Amino acid sequence: MGLVKSKTLSAGAFGGDDGGRDLSALLADLAARDSSVRRAAARDLANYPQAAMALCDRLEKEASPSVRAVLFTSLIRVQDGEVAARLAACLRSDDAQLRNGAIEALQEMPGAVAPHLQALLADPDSDVRIFAVNILGALRHVSAPQWLADVVRVEGHINVCAAAVDALAEVGGLEAIDALEDLRRRFPGEAFMAFAIETAIRRIRGK
Amino acid sequence: MTKPAIPIKAPRVLVVDDGITMRLYYRTVLEAAGFVVEEATNGVEGYEKALAQRFDLLIVDINMPKMDGYSMLRAIRRDAAVQGVPALTISTEAGQADAIKAYESGANYYLVKPVAPETLTDVARLMTGSGV
Repeated sequence: MGLVKSKTLSAGAFGGDDGGRDLSALLADLAARDSSVRRAAARDLANYPQAAMALCDRLEKEASPSVRAVLFTSLIRVQDGEVAARLAACLRSDDAQLRNGAIEALQEMPGAVAPHLQALLADPDSDVRIFAVNILGALRHVSAPQWLADVVRVEGHINVCAAAVDALAEVGGLEAIDALEDLRRRFPGEAFMAFAIETAIRRIRGK
Repeated sequence: MTKPAIPIKAPRVLVVDDGITMRLYYRTVLEAAGFVVEEATNGVEGYEKALAQRFDLLIVDINMPKMDGYSMLRAIRRDAAVQGVPALTISTEAGQADAIKAYESGANYYLVKPVAPETLTDVARLMTGSGV
């Protein structure tokens, strides 16, 4: 059995060699008063996968948009399952900028976010399900069109379905048309849904 | 003798939404009712267009990339040149707290998606005070 590196950080983990001291200093800089210092630390910590959770912690309390942007960029570089899980948790935030940043970051990590998507698509909060569909729509993952078609088939909330229809118009193929036609029958009186489905089918056929 | 028709200047609406189908829907409904529609795909583009051109109404989504609807509305309300333009927020978020946050950010009215065509045109007419 191979050794598994722990991602848990502790003070003792940074002592000793030069690399450890660098990491320790960067982690301290992440809490500096000066936003330019925090921004530089966030950028350089992308080289330390073991600092990913510290970057996530900082993301949740960071007020500066420019530091946040760098934190997201660094987390995209790390992109593992734990990072994806922490970013997925940001979808429940009341902070719209944090939510939207998390969506954009998760769209850039198809392999890491894929295992979390089914749970997000089954979330009791319809807004979280919409965000999951938004992620799927821009995810470079071979299964994304199929997952979107599945959403259209089983989802009961009209706005989640509408988001999936919009995404299928972009990434769906001819195999999605049956699901879209079924959806039309499920929401017979909704003018927007009829319009969205018509538009999606026209765009899919025009590809 | 009939009076000559008085030409009505068509009200200009800026639709800010990252969903391509949603923008097309608003455009189709509003243009059929006589409005002139311009589009932006996120809050940054919406804010820039709102500053660069004259609009009678802003229709703003909340969850958008680059700049969300709340931030865009706050930026609009801080800018003396455009702060008086009425803003309609249309969001998927149906909670009362979401509407309150939109009003606090500068929205004049809040609707939850999906919006029926007649509701959209009625509210747009009311908010622009137009006769289209």
